[in-house]
Amino acid sequence: MNAKRNMAKGPEPREGETKQMEGMDLASVIECARGHDGEALGEIYRRYVRRVFGLCRYMLNSRESAEDTTSEVFLKLQRSIDSYDRSIPFPRWLLRVAGNQCIDALRRRQRGRRAIVEVEDGAAVTEVPSSEPSPLGAVISKEERAEVRDAIARLPENYRVALVLRYYSELSYDEIAQQLDLERNYVAALIFRAKKELRRRLPHRSK
Amino acid sequence: MECYSEQTCALAVDGELAADEAQRLRDHLTTCHRCRALVDALRAENRALSDSLNELPEEAASPASSSPQRRSWGWSELAILAAALLLGSIISGWFNELDIPAALEWFNPFSVSGRTNLTFQLFYYFAHGGTAMLADYAAVVGWICLLLLLGGSALLLGRRGRPHYPGLRLLIVLLALSLPSFALERRHGEFVTVTANETVDDTLVAAANMVRVDGVVNGDLLTFGRTVEVRGTVKGDLISFAQRTEVSGTVEGHIYTFARSLDLEGQLGHSIYGAVQSLHIDDRGRVGDGIVVAVGEATLEGEVKRSVNIVTGGSVDVSGTIGRDLTMIGRSLVLTNTARIGGNLSARVRQLKEVQIADGATIGGKRDIQVRVRESSFTRPRFYFHQAVWFAGAILVGWLGMLLFPGFFQATTQLVSSGWRSLGLGVGVLAGVPVAMVVIAITLVGFPLSLMVLALYLAAIYLAKIWVGAFLGRTLLKPSGATKSDWLLGLLVGLLILTLLGFIPYLGGLVRLGVVCLGLGAFAGQLYRASRPVMTA
Repeated sequence: MNAKRNMAKGPEPREGETKQMEGMDLASVIECARGHDGEALGEIYRRYVRRVFGLCRYMLNSRESAEDTTSEVFLKLQRSIDSYDRSIPFPRWLLRVAGNQCIDALRRRQRGRRAIVEVEDGAAVTEVPSSEPSPLGAVISKEERAEVRDAIARLPENYRVALVLRYYSELSYDEIAQQLDLERNYVAALIFRAKKELRRRLPHRSK
Repeated sequence: MECYSEQTCALAVDGELAADEAQRLRDHLTTCHRCRALVDALRAENRALSDSLNELPEEAASPASSSPQRRSWGWSELAILAAALLLGSIISGWFNELDIPAALEWFNPFSVSGRTNLTFQLFYYFAHGGTAMLADYAAVVGWICLLLLLGGSALLLGRRGRPHYPGLRLLIVLLALSLPSFALERRHGEFVTVTANETVDDTLVAAANMVRVDGVVNGDLLTFGRTVEVRGTVKGDLISFAQRTEVSGTVEGHIYTFARSLDLEGQLGHSIYGAVQSLHIDDRGRVGDGIVVAVGEATLEGEVKRSVNIVTGGSVDVSGTIGRDLTMIGRSLVLTNTARIGGNLSARVRQLKEVQIADGATIGGKRDIQVRVRESSFTRPRFYFHQAVWFAGAILVGWLGMLLFPGFFQATTQLVSSGWRSLGLGVGVLAGVPVAMVVIAITLVGFPLSLMVLALYLAAIYLAKIWVGAFLGRTLLKPSGATKSDWLLGLLVGLLILTLLGFIPYLGGLVRLGVVCLGLGAFAGQLYRASRPVMTA
């Protein structure tokens, strides 16, 4: 669904260059891109740059890094697109690649520290007693969405990364676990805690 | 039936619960209102999260400069700055029209006569004004820097509040840091004299044939010229690029000098650092701290309070007093009867007979005199150890470079293949950059910039062998892929070959020079290419 949305509102194409690619279906564009067709790669860029940039922006929490990483993703795409095997939809694959790139960037950024994503008390999923549930509400306004984004941006990195991979990239727990090199149970615990922390930081949104 | 935990419900909502358990939960939900409410709320929460994240924030919606077509960092800024530079030179020409029109005639690229007269003006200025032209030039560049600073700041402010170009920001900080140098007092001419009853309250920059200070300079004294004489007092440091530097008065700070000769007959508060052909401390001369110099020859007749460290191609004669240690590496050492060394004497000379210590000379500490025998470095194990460390270091640097700037390193390696073009460009860069650095540095305002260029220059010289080595290795191995490990393997092989070639007498030196030129050329070429739009393909 996200892919569709993005295909609809990609940035304006550069003059003339990508005009004839515009109408092509994704499969043919990808096919052309695999043949190292510059215009096809440009078209993929045009369609998905916002989506990828959004992911990088959320994951890295810095516009500069996000811009750099987005560039890297698309520059590397020239080679990496050969490894796309159509087993999953292309946008999903691209976001996975971008996610990996972001994680690399995060690891580079804090080489000194240990792995970027760690659950503090070495927690596996422990059955938390069903406390009073206080999730965020259903329909929220534009301002409130911005508030939620701000709160996510301020979460500790491990929480932020997990939430973004799950609810922006829409990866499964298994995929996230694979990307972050963690146990699936850890990922589940991480996301659960991240949401709890988010609720705590957005008290007026709780029911 | 017992209710499910919030975490289990959350897993279910995320679609991550095992099929059978999910079914059991669904069954439970048909009967349990409490759990159903929880699941609904969690589902709504997921939607809210998803919606919030998918509605990209304003800035993320337009990754303006994140396109692959974007220029590499700050290049567009540099273009703007270059334009500002041109503009600045015109404006400063206008500013200085009444003052020094001739100096700017040739500098103004928009004046045809200026351009054609450039060479003549240059000669004229050197012949008649000597170093004065440099001072004019410094003044002009100072103006330009000020304009750049203002222009750059305006540029940053204009960019919707949040500047995100590290290069530009750094440049502006450097320019701002160098602003105080506007307070410098600049003097130039055939003779620059600070008369006995005159006091210069600030740092004095003097460029002249003859600089004489009879009065007082409260700041530092920075001089370029043929002869510099300090008979009065300099309260700060004396930085001298003069042919002959003579201090018979007082310098309260340090002396930094790159001159043919330095004579100290007066008082120096701190130390002497530098490289001079001949260093002479007169018997009236006093050095408050120590001396660290590379000299052709040194004569120490006066007093040095602390240690003296000298590397010399010639001789060191000591007849004065050294408070602490004397360490020298050179050809010969003479200590006369009046010589006194408070601490240790350590000397490294070629032959033992080159050390003459008179019986009357006193040495407080130990004597350590070693004779350096020139033997083939290949016979010493330490040589191989050093080479191994250097080699490992180069590999490590190559690996790090590949890790941090994979694209740039691979592209530069590739560019080495353009052979003569890289070589020619490299020779130009190797010879041209130092000249450019000196021109930037003489303005003082441009000093930090010049240091940055120097750092880049040295780094590129070091990295040259890595790029050339990697290219050589790849040419020999012809790996099927272009992965990092292929690149590294190529580097290992290529660097090994280059290192071995470098050991060949005479030819080795040429090989090293060639490698440096080739690598520098490829680097410069890649920098230039990176400055142009990259094609998507």
